Amino acid sequence: MSYEAIAVLMFSTFMLLLLTGQRVFGAIGFVAAAFSLALWGEGAVEMPFASTITLLNWYPMLTLPMFVYMGYMLSESGIASDLYRMFHVWTGPMRGGLAVGTVLLMVAISAMNGLSVAGMAIGATIALPELLKRGYDKIMVTGVIQAGSSLGIMIPPSVVLVLYGMIARQPVGQLWLAGVGPGLLLAALFILYILIRCHLQPHLGPPLPLEERQQITWGEKIRLLRAGILPLLIIFSMTGLFVMGVTSMVESSAVGALAATLVAWYKGRITRQVMEDTLRKSLAVSAMFMWIILAALAFGAVFDGLGAVKAIEILFLEKWGLEPWQVLVLMQLTYLLMGTFLDDTAMLIIVAPLYVPLIISLGFNPIWYGILYTITCQIAYITPPFGYNLFLMRAMAPKEVTLIDIYKSIIPFVLIMLVGLALVIVFPEIALWLPNQVYGK
Amino acid sequence: MPRIIKAYVRYVDAVNRVLGYFVMYLTLVMMGLLLFASLTRYVFNVPFVWIIEMAQFLMAAYYILGGGYSMQLDAHVRMDVLYERWRPKTRAFMDSLTAFFLVFYLAIMLRGGFASSAYSIKYNQTNYSAWAPPMAPIKIIMTVGIALMLLQAISIFFKDVAKVTGREIA
Repeated sequence: MSYEAIAVLMFSTFMLLLLTGQRVFGAIGFVAAAFSLALWGEGAVEMPFASTITLLNWYPMLTLPMFVYMGYMLSESGIASDLYRMFHVWTGPMRGGLAVGTVLLMVAISAMNGLSVAGMAIGATIALPELLKRGYDKIMVTGVIQAGSSLGIMIPPSVVLVLYGMIARQPVGQLWLAGVGPGLLLAALFILYILIRCHLQPHLGPPLPLEERQQITWGEKIRLLRAGILPLLIIFSMTGLFVMGVTSMVESSAVGALAATLVAWYKGRITRQVMEDTLRKSLAVSAMFMWIILAALAFGAVFDGLGAVKAIEILFLEKWGLEPWQVLVLMQLTYLLMGTFLDDTAMLIIVAPLYVPLIISLGFNPIWYGILYTITCQIAYITPPFGYNLFLMRAMAPKEVTLIDIYKSIIPFVLIMLVGLALVIVFPEIALWLPNQVYGK
Repeated sequence: MPRIIKAYVRYVDAVNRVLGYFVMYLTLVMMGLLLFASLTRYVFNVPFVWIIEMAQFLMAAYYILGGGYSMQLDAHVRMDVLYERWRPKTRAFMDSLTAFFLVFYLAIMLRGGFASSAYSIKYNQTNYSAWAPPMAPIKIIMTVGIALMLLQAISIFFKDVAKVTGREIA
C-alpha cells in the first residue's frame, strides 16, 4: 500500500471512530497504536508510550494546568461581575451597547487567561442572562459570547500559541506579542458589526431605558471604573512581568494563577468548597487536554515515520505546481475544513508539523503563520459539529437558547473572522509590528 | 450483574476517586514550585535547575494519575453530532462496543510503560538535562496511572453493559 493510501486510511478510520461518540483521545490513540503495530510490528509497541516522554520534556506545557486553574478561579473571584457592571453603565446607553460591553469584557478576560474556557464561563453565567433580561436578541448575544471568548487564545497569554511555538520551534514571547494586533482587530470588527446591526435593527439591542440611566450619577459612574484596577494588576503581574523579563513564560502563568487566587481571597470568595470545586474542574479539563495531546503526538509520530512532510511538499509543489501563496491559502482552507469536525488541539499537533517546515522553506514568516493558524482555530472553536465553545455554550446556556439558536448565532461572526483572517494575510504588519518593535528586526 | 463485577466497579471507582482527590492538589504544588523558582532566580539570583524539572515531572503525574478520575467525571470530549441525539441506553450500548478501542489504546500504552520502565531500571537511565534525574520513578508512576485508567475504562464498560441490560450498578 502506498504511503498516501495509509495516511488516508488513518484519517478515515479516525473520523469513523469519532462518529461513534467515543472519547476523542481514545479514537486518536487507537488509530495511532493500531497503525504503528500494523506498520512496524512488535518493535513499535513502545511508540504510543514514548509520547509521554515527549510531553514530559515540553516544559511550556506547564502553562496549561496553570491557565485552566486560573480561568476557573477568575470566574469564581467576582472580578467579572464588577467589570460587567462597569461596562454595563458606560456602554449601555448606546444601541447594542451592552453587547459592545460584553466584547470589551471578553477582551479583558482574554488578557488575563490563555484559554477560551474562562471567557465562556463568565459570558454564559454573567453577561448572557443580563442581556436576555434587557431584551437583547438571543441569537446575536449567543454569538457575541462565543466569538468574544475565542479571543482568549489570540490575545496574550495564549495556550494555543504556546503549543504552536513548541511544534514550530518559534519563540513564544514573539508569538504572544504578535497576537495583540489581530486580537484587537477582531474585537474592533465584532464591535463594528454590533453597532451597525443594532443601528439598522434597533430591536436587536435596545439601549438602557432613560429612567435607569438617570438613576446613575456621575460619581457612581466614576466609582465603577475602579473595577478595572484589579484586572489591570493581574495583567501587569502576568504579561507585564514576563515582557519585562522578570519572570519566564511558565513562571508568569503561575504568577497569574496566584494573582487570581489572591483576588478571590481578597473578595472573600474562597471557601473550602470553592477551592475543591476549582481544583477538581481544573484536573478534569487539564487531563482532557493532556490526553488528547498525548494521543495526537502518537498519531503524529506515525505520520512522521511515513515521511508525510516530504510527501506533502512534493504533492503541493511538484505534482500540483502551486505558487507559494496558493499553498498558503490551501493550508488555511484545509485547517478550516478539518476544524469544523476535528478536535482543534489534535489538529494542531498532527497537521502543524507537516505544514510549518513547508511554510518556512517557502519564505513565509513562521510567527505570522502562527497567528493565521490561531484565527482558524478560533473559527474552529465555534463551527459545528465539533467546537469547544459550542460544547460549553450548550452546557451553560439558559433553556430558552436552543441548539439551533447556537448554530445560527455564529454565522455572522465566522464571516467577520474570515475577513480578519484575510486582513492579516494581506497586511502581515498587523501581527508583526509589535514583536518587531519590542524584539527588534 | 455478578457480585464480583459489582465489587470490581465499586473498588476501582473508589481508588480512582480517592487518588484523584489527592492529585488535584498537585496544581497548587506546581504553582508553588514555579513561584519559588522565579523568586529565587530573580530576587536572590540563585537559579535552581531542578525546580522546573520537578514541576514537569509533577505535571506528568498530575494528568496521568488523575486520568482515571477525569474519566469518572466524564470530562473527555466526544464528537457528539450523533451521540447527542441517542437515548441514554443507545449511548451506553455504543460505548460498550467502542470501549474496545479505548481499552486497546490503554493496553498498548501500558505495555509500552512496562517495557520503558524496565529499561530505565536496568540501565539507570537519566533525563537529558542539567539536573539529570533518574527516569525510572516517573516512568513507574506513569505506568501505574495508565494501569488505573485501564481499570477505570473496564469499570465504565461494565456500567454501560449493566445499563443496556437494565440492571444498573450504582
